[in-house]
Amino acid sequence: MLRDTTFNDVSRDCVLDDACPAFVMDEESFRAFYERTARGVWAYLARVTGDRQLADDLLQETFYRFLRAAATYQSETHRRNSLYRIATNLARDARRRSLIRAPFSSAGEKIERVPSADHAGATERKADVTRAMSHLKPQERAMLWLAYAEGASHREIADVLGLRPASLKPLLFRARRRLATLLGRASLEEKS
Amino acid sequence: MKRVECEFEAEVLSAALQARWPDRVDTELRDHVASCAICSDVIAVAVAIDDVREETRLCAVVPDSGRVWWLAQLRARREAAEAAGRPITAAQVIALASAVGLLGACFGATSRWFQASLAWVASSVAGLRVRALLPSALSLLAEHGALVLAMAVIVLLVPAAVYFTMLRD
Repeated sequence: MLRDTTFNDVSRDCVLDDACPAFVMDEESFRAFYERTARGVWAYLARVTGDRQLADDLLQETFYRFLRAAATYQSETHRRNSLYRIATNLARDARRRSLIRAPFSSAGEKIERVPSADHAGATERKADVTRAMSHLKPQERAMLWLAYAEGASHREIADVLGLRPASLKPLLFRARRRLATLLGRASLEEKS
Repeated sequence: MKRVECEFEAEVLSAALQARWPDRVDTELRDHVASCAICSDVIAVAVAIDDVREETRLCAVVPDSGRVWWLAQLRARREAAEAAGRPITAAQVIALASAVGLLGACFGATSRWFQASLAWVASSVAGLRVRALLPSALSLLAEHGALVLAMAVIVLLVPAAVYFTMLRD
């Protein structure tokens, strides 16, 4: 993966010239697009996989594959969806290779920051969300994150996850129901 | 058929995402959410996810865009070089195999010693009687059964283990 290569390798080997492969996107556009999307994609990968180190790896791989795809996009949204589709496929492949711990153990909790005394309640609530999400299937997590964190439309979510738009509504409904139930249970436990 | 969406869902979701819920929405909408299972789920989930969204983004330590660009260029160049070198390697292997085959054929056709050895091996194989070998094989198996079994297991398991290890890597 990209992270195996260091800057020393870059300066030694790569004095870029005409022989270097050109991507469809130029550097300036790529950097602007990366600045706009990288954090969102990382958050998505971290939430879907529950592992921030894996999210680091998959983020770089996602952008590399995006650049290599040499596709032309009708709009910024189209381009962004394509990026999330690549990220989704990589996360799915990683799960197939059992890189993602099953059944999540406390991996999700690694995403949260160390709580401060002032924000104990809020931190606890966030930890509840993380715990509840860790009980969902990766596809459910992806679906909910895209819908409620990224504000993606049903069509966009279906496109990113490779689902038929018609089948998305019941799937999203079930995932939402499960998470709401888990959150309700967590808040009841907190109160008791 | 079970209802999976509500006509107020979009309105409820935008109220949650724009942080207008619950204080800055109409009373009708609040009443509706209280009585609609779908919309109350939407509120619960949207508010919860929105709560962790910003924090998750802030946790992200993403590499610099310039670094990602340069490394992608480097990797693409390396992969292009590997792809270009693949046909050359294949041609070299074929050429080497052809040369070895040709040399072998020349040697076989010209060497009397080789031809005599070949004839001897052929006659030995033809004269071999499997039935005569069977008793000694059986006695070997009876005396060193465990050893033979262990050998067979190693012969079968080691390649399988190597295969699965390579597959995982």
